[in-house]
Amino acid sequence: MTWIELAPRHKQGLPIPSPVMPAAGTFGYGPEYRDLMAYKAADDAYLLGAIVTNPVSLKPRHAANTRRIEVRNEQMLVHTGLPNPGLKAILREHRNFWQRQGIPVIIHLIATNPYEVAKASGKLSRDDSIAGIELGLRSDISLREALDMLYAAQDGGEKPVIVRVPFENVDILAPALAEEGADCLTLTAPPRGLLPTEDNDAGEGTLYMRGRLYGPAMFPLLLQHLSTWCRALEIPVIACGGISSPADAQACLDLGAKAVQIDTQLWRDPGLLPRIAQALIDRQQEEEEFSSFET
Amino acid sequence: MVKQQQATFNEVHPSPPFWSARFSLPNPPTPGTFMLADLGEPLRTVLFPAFIEDNAFITLLPPRHPGTHLLPGSNVDMIGPVGKGFEIGSIDNLLLVAEDRYLPPLLPLLRAATGVALIVEATTRAMLPQIAHIPPAVELYMVTRDGSAGLLGPLESESPAPTGLERAAPHFKALITWAECIILSCAPERYPALAAMVRKTRLSVPENFAQALVQVTMPCGIGACEACRVKTKRGERRACTDGPVFNLLDFDGVE
Repeated sequence: MTWIELAPRHKQGLPIPSPVMPAAGTFGYGPEYRDLMAYKAADDAYLLGAIVTNPVSLKPRHAANTRRIEVRNEQMLVHTGLPNPGLKAILREHRNFWQRQGIPVIIHLIATNPYEVAKASGKLSRDDSIAGIELGLRSDISLREALDMLYAAQDGGEKPVIVRVPFENVDILAPALAEEGADCLTLTAPPRGLLPTEDNDAGEGTLYMRGRLYGPAMFPLLLQHLSTWCRALEIPVIACGGISSPADAQACLDLGAKAVQIDTQLWRDPGLLPRIAQALIDRQQEEEEFSSFET
Repeated sequence: MVKQQQATFNEVHPSPPFWSARFSLPNPPTPGTFMLADLGEPLRTVLFPAFIEDNAFITLLPPRHPGTHLLPGSNVDMIGPVGKGFEIGSIDNLLLVAEDRYLPPLLPLLRAATGVALIVEATTRAMLPQIAHIPPAVELYMVTRDGSAGLLGPLESESPAPTGLERAAPHFKALITWAECIILSCAPERYPALAAMVRKTRLSVPENFAQALVQVTMPCGIGACEACRVKTKRGERRACTDGPVFNLLDFDGVE
């Protein structure tokens, strides 16, 4: 499969060997799934386009004290608090593994202000094991704040910057971020939702849990955004949300997405990611054979 | 190394207050470790073994659990065995402590020592397990929170019991002194208080003396999602890969 360029406007670029990658927060930092899924095919072709890490902050973060997951039918709310030991510890612990894999590594960076983004971005630009940054934003972030985060990531370092756009504000943020120099956009970060929890006891009133919404219901919403934005933006788009089959991934690519991210479906079916990648490789080969036959 | 295995569902039958489900597979889990089964739900289901055979295990499920709807002979995709299980050396006196719905993972340990004492605490009499599960040699202490059967709980409470009832706490303390190893399976929020009781009762606590099984939701089961983190004295740990069996004293003083 030919490599896909996710940052054509960036001097270093961000080429990935396959259009399939995990979504931040679902895959750990890379080693977690190595016994459960093939990162490469038998012929050494890359199935995993990139390792997108769990959210990483400049300083360590603790887990949320509230309920962390609530499942209803096929959908689920997840609120972990984005715990992580901090950027320095993550790089120290995983750098060797990343270098051995030879797969591009995209750090999903979270921060509360532009200063933290700039500082983390500066640290990452000196690290050869990192191919790019995916910037995570709060769901209620304003356009001004989002642009300040982007500028900080670009000014602070030299790695290509992907911005994962919050579902709630795609129409406002996506065109502005593309205009202001983001190298690539991930559409979208999951929206926030609220569900009554299973812990409800009589007499205490209804207890609720807030969190990010995952599940197959996200897929049509994703396609709606892709159909609007992939052709309208001049930068590559990565599709993310409810993708659960090779056909889903192909539908995203057909709408103009350059790559897809698989989210919580991985927890139930770790083989899904390589299966999607292999199906896309097979389809591309078929198309190439067909076009060579035609000529 | 965590592996994916194909299990065969063999049978299910009621075993009040649970349902007993048997799966055969090449590498069954050991006591305290678990399997992540794809039962058609959005997340894999955590299955702890209640009884272990060479190439099979039996798990006890609550009523209406999706595992009770499987058809005998159906294939079930499983990941595991996952996690760090119980570590019991060659000992004479073993104390097992469980809350009703958290009891099944301790059942494989009922013959793990020459002398085994089991404290089961339930909210009420109807939630106590079947005696049939318990070998006659096991010294059994039934505890209910409403006093409807056995001793009066909770184990941590030392306040005077109402007339006609007897508190469980003095018995628990005596058993802590007697035991060479204690294994607990309770709601995780109870562990700090139980750890404090163990620390106060024993002058010195050897390594691995008190082991606590943490049963929380484990969406990925392999340390990727960070949803199962628990607070310990040594910082946050993942229940799925750092546990699910922890040193009970790691919860001492944790709020």
